[in-house]
Amino acid sequence: MTVVDPITLDAPLLQSGQPSSAPTPVSADFADYFTQQLGEVNGQLMHAEHGLQLLATGQASNLHQVMINLEEAKLSLQLVAQVRNRLLDAFQEILRMQV
Amino acid sequence: MDYRNAFAISASGMTVEKLRLETIATNMANMHAVAGADGRLYRPLRVMTTEVQGGFHRQFNQGLEALQGTRAVVVESNAKPRAVYDPGHPAANPEGYVQYPGVNQVTEMVNMISALRAYEANVVAMNAAKSMAMKALEIGGNT
Repeated sequence: MTVVDPITLDAPLLQSGQPSSAPTPVSADFADYFTQQLGEVNGQLMHAEHGLQLLATGQASNLHQVMINLEEAKLSLQLVAQVRNRLLDAFQEILRMQV
Repeated sequence: MDYRNAFAISASGMTVEKLRLETIATNMANMHAVAGADGRLYRPLRVMTTEVQGGFHRQFNQGLEALQGTRAVVVESNAKPRAVYDPGHPAANPEGYVQYPGVNQVTEMVNMISALRAYEANVVAMNAAKSMAMKALEIGGNT
């Protein structure tokens, strides 16, 4: 006879480990800030890849959580790419100014 | 609110529906299990989901950062066991009846289908949240 233990799903289930970028103060150098954001995106990508490894070895209990981590990492990377595009556009706007 | 909140809420919904499917599968697997050596008959399980901290509306009004999904517990139901008249069965009681778990197969199948549809609905909600975030990234583009 199989018995399922009572399971309570509360806060630890949700992704509370978000790399919170809002509370951290913006450093004086924008390059440092951008590098820091890239580091966080890299951390998210590695976390997603770790989830994929767990899934491949059959240790992942939550398939949809792995997929959600993948999608979040992809979204963060595209956000960084968009920020880079806007910055380049603004920079080229400045370059176009006639001396 | 952080766009990741929508993902986390849908994730908790998906986990609850997966848990519901697992309890249904357990019920259907133990449908014809007679009482074991300890005399305890299998009782059908069900998942009870309750709101977290009494009321979503209060959390929305306060604008909390971490909006939680649902909370689920697995409980044993009080369904009456089925009694089947089978005097030749080794586990028959003195009157000749064998006790089987009170698992209604039709109800379990319907619950299984509804759990599957609810899971798909959560996936659709999550895809919608992701599309919303992707659209937000297109602000100011294609000039």
